[in-house]
Amino acid sequence: MKKQKIIIDPVTRIEGHAKITIDLDEKGSVEDARIHVTQFRGFEKICEGRLFTEMPAMTARTCGICPVSHAISSTKACDEILSITPPQAAINLRKIINLAQILQSHALNFYHLSAPDFVYGFDAKKEDRNIFKMMQTHPAMAKDGIGLRAFGQKIIETLGGKRIHPDWIVPGGVSHSLSKEQKESINTQIPQAMDIAKRTLHYFTSNLHKFQREIESFAAFPSLFMSLVDGYGNLEHYDGKLKFIDANGKVLDENINPSEYKNFISEAVEEDSFLKSPYYKPFGYEKGIYRVGALARLNIANGCGTTLADEYFERFKNLNGGKPVLNSFYYHYARLIEIIHAIEKIEILLNDPVTLNENVRAHAQVNSLQGIGCSEAPRGTLFHDYQVSKDGVIEKMNLIIATGNNNLAMNQGVKQVAQEFIDTKNITDGALNRVEAVIRCFDPCLSCSTHALGVVSSKIEIRDHHKKVIDLLSRS
Amino acid sequence: MRTIIGYGNDLRGEDAFGVDVLKNLELENLENTQLLTLFQLTPEILLDLLESDEIVFVDACYSPDYPYALACNLEEQNQNTLSHHISYTMIVKMLNSLYNKYPKYEVFSMLSLEFDEVKDEKKYRQVVKNVSTYLSIA
Repeated sequence: MKKQKIIIDPVTRIEGHAKITIDLDEKGSVEDARIHVTQFRGFEKICEGRLFTEMPAMTARTCGICPVSHAISSTKACDEILSITPPQAAINLRKIINLAQILQSHALNFYHLSAPDFVYGFDAKKEDRNIFKMMQTHPAMAKDGIGLRAFGQKIIETLGGKRIHPDWIVPGGVSHSLSKEQKESINTQIPQAMDIAKRTLHYFTSNLHKFQREIESFAAFPSLFMSLVDGYGNLEHYDGKLKFIDANGKVLDENINPSEYKNFISEAVEEDSFLKSPYYKPFGYEKGIYRVGALARLNIANGCGTTLADEYFERFKNLNGGKPVLNSFYYHYARLIEIIHAIEKIEILLNDPVTLNENVRAHAQVNSLQGIGCSEAPRGTLFHDYQVSKDGVIEKMNLIIATGNNNLAMNQGVKQVAQEFIDTKNITDGALNRVEAVIRCFDPCLSCSTHALGVVSSKIEIRDHHKKVIDLLSRS
Repeated sequence: MRTIIGYGNDLRGEDAFGVDVLKNLELENLENTQLLTLFQLTPEILLDLLESDEIVFVDACYSPDYPYALACNLEEQNQNTLSHHISYTMIVKMLNSLYNKYPKYEVFSMLSLEFDEVKDEKKYRQVVKNVSTYLSIA
């Protein structure tokens, strides 16, 4: 039999536009599989020649799902160019909006994109695996999804003025302070949000036993992990130092100032994707494969630093006897714990008296010709690196997007799932759904990671050993 | 209560139609009316619509014919995936099925050939004005 190739194009229920190719060998077995990100916008070039102060607004336009994350990293880079530290109230408010962003994005992934697979199973009819079917059969759960995401978005709207692309996060701080009334309006919604979050985590953990094969084969392999941690080694989404660990939990590097990221991360360019492939520089390409995002954050952290999340964190750590959890299916688990942590932390920050201070912005001129901002976005560690002229005009920009950090791991995961589930004599929709679902574990934001534009949809291609497409499964 | 939703991207030329209509209406101090300006329709806005007995959707609609005409696109969209946005018909269906709410709804879509610029400023402004005026007195 000739070598063949399967192509999934476009990939569905992800943020952005991608296709998957599955190469078959001469015996018809899966030889290789890759995800190709097929969209491009080139934000790093578009921004050259513009003032650095425009970057929080411009780079946030990369994405409609996580604009706040870009605004946070961008303003942190701008703060460095100004050589200032924003007032503590502004830092607290930025932390709150960043956590709200993470919360609403995690809720989107769980309820709107992934839950249909958990509720109906990966082999259910494809017309049933969607949020609208869930509204018919599981209306309470669908309402929970709406309620939890709305909670995060309401916080973003309350603080930033808009649910999407708020322009309130600015160099030096934020543009206006939080009122007591606004604070109370958020506070009153916290108990309901927490109830939903706990209910969701209970649902997920109660149903894990149904997905043992997926847990064992969805990008379950040794890799490195990277994230920010705070001064106690705990979960940190806004500030902190970078830390790398290996698959056994051994610390490779820690206490890294994010501005030194280039000493630890290099970016490879693949010829078949617009998504770059960052890797841990000391180990080289591709041995330096690492994962970021919720799974990496919980693997690296000593704890969450909030009461309830720490209880769940302990159970999470027990999944692999205290060592890093290597199964990417558990990204879902980690995201749900992070939702609980985010709600707890938002409440703590809201009730810190400093948060209501009216001094929320520092002003300065250009004092440094480079600024590097780093924060934890929903999908992982995000870097904005700006070089400016003495007049503050962007001369060079480098963005390492959370999803890009996971590119090598996503590719390895797609191959692993294809080899486990694709029977080339009988390619079922359930098998193809699993190939897509392993990508959804990482919750990639492809629009962000290629700074790209496109309709959300997906394809799977099958190619023979001459790379000739012999079948195309369109799933828009 | 009546809710008027204007949605679109105000950086994308005629796609800003709904947003521009809402900007006019915000100056009118309309009674018993909630105004919502959005980039797109998402399930979360359902929670803002639970008290509405009437919903008006205002947007731009791509069409190769009759630019700047007003229309109401009632074609049901085959939409079983969700990421960035959903249709107004889906919003109404979700209100019905999830929250047992059955508001009246109307749609004002301006047909547009081009979402990346305003092709004819004069005609565009006239349609914005016509719809704003109608909604402010209706």
